Order: sequence, then structure tokens, then C-alpha cells
Amino acid sequence: MLQQFLDPSVLASISGLDLIAKTVVNGFVAGLHRSPDFGFSQEFAEYRAYAEGDDLRHVDWNVFARTERCFLKRYRGETNTQILVLLDTSASMSYGSHTVHKLDYSRFLASALCYMANLQRDAAGLIVFDEDVANYIPPSTRQGQIFRLLHAIEKAEVGTHTDFAAPFVHFQNFLHRKGLVVVLSDFYADPEVIVKTIEPLRFKGNEVILFHILDPQEIAPRFREPMLLVDMEHTANSMEVSPEYARHEYRVKIDAHIEALRSKAKATGFDYFLMNTARPLDEGLREYLFIRQGRM
Amino acid sequence: MGFLTPWFLGGLLVVGLPIWLHLLRKHKTTPTPFSSLMFFEQRTQSSIKHRRLRYLVLFALRTLLLILIVLAFAHPYMQRKILPLTRSGEITVFAIDNSLSMRAGDRLGQAKRAAKSLAGGLRAGERGEVIAFGSRVQIMSEITDDHANLASGIDSVEASDARTSYAELTRSLRSIAQATKLPLDVHLYSDMQQSGMPANFNDLRLSADVRLTPHPIDSKPVPNFAVENVVAPRRVYDAKKTRVLATVAGFCNPKALRRVTLVLNQREIESKTVEVPAGGRAQVEFTSLEVPFGLNKGAVRIDSADPLPNDDTFYFSVERVDPRHALFVHEADNTHGLFYFQTALEASGQSAFAIDPATVEQTVNMSPAKYSFVVLSDVSGLSPAFENQLRDYVRGGGSVFIALGRQALSVSKLPVSGTRVEGSRYSGREGERFQTVGWLDAGHPSILKDSRWDDVKFYQTIRVEPGKARVLAKLADGSPLLLDEQIGEGHVMVFASTLDNLENDFPKQNSFVPFIERTARYLGRLNEGPPSVAVGAFEDLRSSKEKGAAVEVLDPKGGRALSLEEATRAQNIQFTMAGFYEIHRPNGQSEVVAVNADRRESDLTPVAPDNLKLWQNTAQGTASVTGTAEGEQKPLSLWWYVMLAVLALAGAESWLGNRHLAVDKEAA
Repeated sequence: MLQQFLDPSVLASISGLDLIAKTVVNGFVAGLHRSPDFGFSQEFAEYRAYAEGDDLRHVDWNVFARTERCFLKRYRGETNTQILVLLDTSASMSYGSHTVHKLDYSRFLASALCYMANLQRDAAGLIVFDEDVANYIPPSTRQGQIFRLLHAIEKAEVGTHTDFAAPFVHFQNFLHRKGLVVVLSDFYADPEVIVKTIEPLRFKGNEVILFHILDPQEIAPRFREPMLLVDMEHTANSMEVSPEYARHEYRVKIDAHIEALRSKAKATGFDYFLMNTARPLDEGLREYLFIRQGRM
Repeated sequence: MGFLTPWFLGGLLVVGLPIWLHLLRKHKTTPTPFSSLMFFEQRTQSSIKHRRLRYLVLFALRTLLLILIVLAFAHPYMQRKILPLTRSGEITVFAIDNSLSMRAGDRLGQAKRAAKSLAGGLRAGERGEVIAFGSRVQIMSEITDDHANLASGIDSVEASDARTSYAELTRSLRSIAQATKLPLDVHLYSDMQQSGMPANFNDLRLSADVRLTPHPIDSKPVPNFAVENVVAPRRVYDAKKTRVLATVAGFCNPKALRRVTLVLNQREIESKTVEVPAGGRAQVEFTSLEVPFGLNKGAVRIDSADPLPNDDTFYFSVERVDPRHALFVHEADNTHGLFYFQTALEASGQSAFAIDPATVEQTVNMSPAKYSFVVLSDVSGLSPAFENQLRDYVRGGGSVFIALGRQALSVSKLPVSGTRVEGSRYSGREGERFQTVGWLDAGHPSILKDSRWDDVKFYQTIRVEPGKARVLAKLADGSPLLLDEQIGEGHVMVFASTLDNLENDFPKQNSFVPFIERTARYLGRLNEGPPSVAVGAFEDLRSSKEKGAAVEVLDPKGGRALSLEEATRAQNIQFTMAGFYEIHRPNGQSEVVAVNADRRESDLTPVAPDNLKLWQNTAQGTASVTGTAEGEQKPLSLWWYVMLAVLALAGAESWLGNRHLAVDKEAA
């Protein structure tokens, strides 16, 4: 069946984040995570021969009646985990060469992730940061948590510049339980510094996913004529850029940056996924989840 | 090199446009926010780089294009030295005028002597050709390097009665040059008559490789008298009513008295003295022409004693014949039509027809065969025998004119033609008072070209169905008034009213007499040609039925104008001599044709020297006029070359511009 992906500009025209999240997530069913332990649930996994010491409650007596041999019935256990979404709201995130800028795109993504977690009855939380933590909603499975999260995401405003060090030190204080940490940022910093800053979270047993949000104009800028560019995070910085440079040298550099971040993240055990804001959100998410499922 | 319109060079300022576009136009420096500049480097800031010359080739093309357009407007030219034409293999052409005017004095002799003198001076191996020209060009000797042959060709040139046509000479020279593909050095020996020049100077245009050198012979204005024209009838029916009108013209002459003599069959009939004004004309009228029956040769002669005696006599031919008979059939109690018809024919001058009136009853035992034509004037009750004879008469080539009145209402179909009668139309006091003619076919011989029947009032007309007949006149309401239908070899004309003044007032109008006279000539097949024709005119010798039969033509000198073969085959003959030609046709008829030289030859006024020079200059590169042997400076316009370059550059600019645009689009 052909999948009609949702254009970011179409999503932008939908007013409520809850609706956006619902629209995105309802398109597919795969969960964000799956427990590696077997447990009690309705989902059958396999049969195993009875061994001494096994709990007799798990013996399939129907099979025993037919075969007079004891088999244990095993189920795939689903555990509730904690998901913390870290949303970067630095000034650079407000850049966009088309109708949806990076922050909006990140909002859609964050709300979709929270919605998905809510569907799985996971405890979802949110940290909005730029150079410091701007908002923190602790992970919870309480009633109305999703609306709190969506409200916080909606209210997230553009801040100043990104500083991973200060807010990440702060996060570690909030995180008491291991879980899933999703970072949504454009990562305009040295990959080494980024990874060094985030890797303690991994060491604590968290699973870290980096969503690298970039505008197509940032990945492959095309200027018809020389431009005077002003840095959005440091407005005093401006630079005259020739189209030739943007077409050649810049691309080499940004590709190297992306590649460095990807390789360092992989080396540290992070999941890294580049999200181009020109792509439909659900398409990107689906692709990521597919890759992730394949690994599980 | 120079410019014809140098002020257009001011347009070079436009070149500033591509310079501004490519060199001076600064890039936009409006600050554009960008997420981060961490991947941009300081070294890329150079704004000079942005101002560098983009699209160097395109810039050069545009600049050059504008410069060339401005240059094209300034109309550049360069002085070119024209070297004298190398004329290898040149043919010397001796063109000798043998028209009538060359008979004046010893003009032709002088021309021949001058030509022979030049021909004798030709170097061995040099080729030449002799041509004589009047209204036509005759080759007197082929192109040859045998100079004796050329001399004999010149000797064989004889005077003619033709008129000079320099246009015909030019046309022949062009075709000779085209055929031989060699340069011609034409030596023209002529009295250079002004009257020989064509109306359109373009007809004198020579080919580029023709060099014309005129040798005017006795080209001074000479007084000359001539009988310019004679008006005389071709056929005479009544000698007492015949008159001859002669016009005597003087060219470059002082006022003088001249004796004008009418000659008939070489016998002087009458002489009169007339005073010819200076450079003017005088007319002489001879009031009677007592000619015997048959063909006669007439002439009007003056005693001019001028150098050109050939134009002192004007020939004309005249034939004395009896009037032809025409039958006029009418009702016994209605003779009005006869009266008006007869009077109209008599009033037209020469009465070529004698009217034989007859009532309907008298026609019972009559045969129409001996009559030129038959008129049925408002009659009915013709005997079947006569009607049958009439029908046979028409089929055999006879003609019938039917005038319709109240008698026509008693029949449903007209005799002979079978035209259906539909009824009558009467214009009474209560409605419209009369009808008028709405349309006339002026192309028919019975209707005078400028004739107007507008004033004719028709009170009663008969409505007829025209059928296959040609409608010659229509009333204002569109109903046919006059019809002409061919039946067999004859004609039947139907006039939808009467010939009297009861049902119309036609007989009282001016247009009646010419209509009756022309209709009678048409029906009686009386075709009178002019009493004389000009030299160069053609005459038909035989009809298609007379193929193979011999026609004998005697020229004015009494010799046979046609060879035996020509006599049996020639369809026509061209008259080349002034005088009387006698033609004996296969059907036994004889004819005398008077031929006169074109009287434009009598005017011996020469061409103005400027016009002569202009004629010479029509040949491009003719050096004979200026006589410069070293060549001359001539401006050579470079406009076309510049425009071609502009076109090429515009194409290249368009192609290159599109290419850059495509690249830009792709980048965008």
C-alpha cells in the first residue's frame, strides 16, 4: 500500500500539537522500544521443555495432557520505560528556509515521540534547553501527562545559543532511573564536545538517541549571489559568503561535521539520526524506527 | 573609412549598459540570518570576488553587439578603388539606325561611312558584329573577325520606313551580351531622335558589360513638314457625302505656306494651300471624294521641299460600294417604326444600308436570303413559310432584329428565336409614369461605349424570358430590354419595345441614332477597318478554314511580299514599307491596305546630351563616359557586413545567455 507521507508544511497548518502527534503516530504501529526480558503478557513467544526449578504456573497443561510431557509457555514481556525528550531551543533552531523551521519540526517530532510513549504507557518527560534548562517536566505516567508535555512543547520559545555542558550536567541530576533519552538539536558544536557531554547519560545505562535536525539549506546551501550572512546565535557575527564557497567548501565541512557526529555517537553507543526538515516527519520517523527495530 | 551618419556614434554610450550589468552592479548586501557561521571561513569574505567579471565571454559579446548596432546606424563605408574593367574578348558592335528619319539627307550614308571607318581600324583578330535597327533589330553580319565581312554587312544596311526604337536596340544588346557572355563595345550610329526614346527610361538599361559609344549623325534640329494624318472613310457609299480631312504638321519649322494635294489613283483631284504655323499643325478638308466603284488608292501630298520627303505623302485606301439592302417588315397600319429606323440610318452619315420595307402580307413569297439583315417591327402573323425561311436564314449566318409591341401579346413565342413572351408591362398615370434603363452592356458592338440611355422613357414594354440569350440592356426593375442570341451562325436581337415613339421616346433621344447605326453594322456584319495602318502593323491573311490556300500579297514596289511557302502557310503579314499593299485572299476577295510610316519619325529633334549620357551610364562600370583609365574611388558600404556580424553575434549572445540562465536555474 502506498504510504502518503505528511508534508511538514501540512503539519504546520494543523493547529494543535496533539492532533499533529496523533496524525503522525497513527500512521504506523511499531513501538519505540521493546523489552529484552520475557515476562507476563498476552504476547506468546515460545515453548520450552520444563527444567527443574521452573515455576509450575507456566506449564502448559493442555500440552501435557496431550503429550504427557511438561512444556513451559513463554511470553514476550513488555516493560514500561522512561522516555526523556531533550528539546534544543537555541536561536539557531529558529532557522528555516521554508515554511517549517527547525524548531517547529523538532516540536512535531517531540510531540510525536511523547504521544507514542503515552500510547505505550511509558513515562515520558521533557527538558527544554538552550544554554540552560528552560523547562523541565519529569517523566510520569500520570493521567494528563501527555497534555502537560504537549503544552510545554508548544510553549517552548527560541532562546539564545546552545551550550550542551551546562544543561546536561543539570539533566544528570534529574535522571534517577535509566531509560531512553532523545536529544533533538542541530548540534552546532564540536562533535567531540557534544559526545563527551552526553556520554555520561549512556554510562548510567540510558539509551541515548540523537536526532540531528537540519534545514536543507544548511545541508546544501545554494546562493545565487554573494550573501551577507548573520549568525543567529551571535548576531554580532556576520560574514559575506560567495555562492561558490557555499556550493563547495561549506558542503565538505558540514558533511564532515555530520559524519564526525555520527561516527562518534555510534562509537559511544548513541543512536544517531539525521532529520532533514524538508522530509515528511512520519517518513523520517518510520525510517528511524525501522532501522531501530532491525537492531532489536 | 568613414561614416555616412556619424552622429549615431553617440549611441556608443549604450555600451555602458553591459559594463554596469557585469562589472559595476554590486551584489545585494542585505544581511540574511543563518543558523550558524561555524562552517564559513573568514577568507571567503572578499567582496572583490563577487564583483569579479562574471561571464566574461557574454560580456564581450554584448558589448561588441551594441558597438556593431551603433556602427550599423552610423552607416560605415570605405573608399574602394574601382579598377577599369578588364574587357578581354570584347566584341565591337556596329549598331546602325535605318529608321525613316535616316532617309533625311544623307544620314544613312554618313552613318555607314563612319561605321566602316571604325571597322577598318579594328586590329587583326578583333571581332565585330553589324546590326541595323529601327523598330526591330536585324543582324547584318554574324560575330566575326573578318573585317571585310563587317564592311559588307555595313554596306548592306538599307533605309526602312520603320520608326526608331532605342528600347528595342537595348533589349537586343542585352540578349547578345547574355548569349555571348562577352563584353560588348557598342558603337551607335544614329540621328539620335528624341521620339525614339521609350517612355520608361528603365527600358534603356544596358548590361554591365556593355559599353555604349554614340556617334550622332547630323543631329541638329532640321525643319520638316509632314502629312501627319488623313481622316477618310474606308468605304464610300455616296461620294457626295464623303469628305477627307488631312492634318499637316511642321517640326522645328518657321511659319510657311504649303500646297496640299488630294491624289486618287495617281491622279490629282484637288489642291489647296494651307498656312502651317511655326512648330504647329494645320488642317485641310476636301469635301468630296468622287471615287469609281471598286478599290482605290488615295493619298494626300504636300510639296515640302525638306530633307525628309518620305513623310510628305499619306496613303489611304478607299472602296466604293453600293449600299447593302435590309428588309424591314412592319404591319400595314404601323409605319412609325420604319420612319424612325430609316431616318436614323440616313442621319448616321454614310448610308451603308438601303432599307426595303415590306408588310407582313408581302413577305409571304419573299426570301430573306438576299438581305444583310431583317427587321421585324412589332409584327405578328408571319406566314409559316417566311418564318421557316427566316430560321434557315439565321442559321446560315443572317441576322434578325425583332422589336416587340402590342402585336407580341398575341403570340406566346417569338418567331425564329422562340423566346417566350410573358406579358406586357404598362406604366400608366396611376402608378409610375414610365420606366428607365437600369443597366447597359457597353461591351456589345451595338451599344456605344459611352452611350447613356438614362433619359429614355419606356411607357410599355413586353416581358420576355431571356433563356440562353445575352442580355444587353435591362430596365430599372431588372426585366430584360435588349437581348442578343446566337442561333447557328446568325444572330437574333430582341428589343422589348417598339421603334416608334408611341411606347417609348427612344427615337427622340440622342442615343437612338448611334444605336440603330451600330446595330445595323453589327447585324449586317459590316466591319470597316481604318483607311490606313502604320508600318509594323500586322494583317490576318486567312481564317482557320482557309488553311493551305495561297494568299497573294504585293508590296508597294509591286513585288511579292511572301515566298511561295509563306503564301500557303503564313497566318499574317507585317507591313514593313510605306505604300499600298494588295492582298488577294483565297476566297477571291481583294484588298488594298494603305501603310504609312510612323509620323513620330518626322520629328527630327535629337536627344538631349544629358539623356544620352544617362543612357550610357546605365551600364555599370562604363569607363567611356569619364574616360578614366586609372580607376576611381567609390564608397563601398559596409552596412551589410556589419548587420551580418550583428546577426551572428545576436545568435551567439542568445545561445550563451540561455546557457548561463539554464545553469542559474539549475543552481536555484
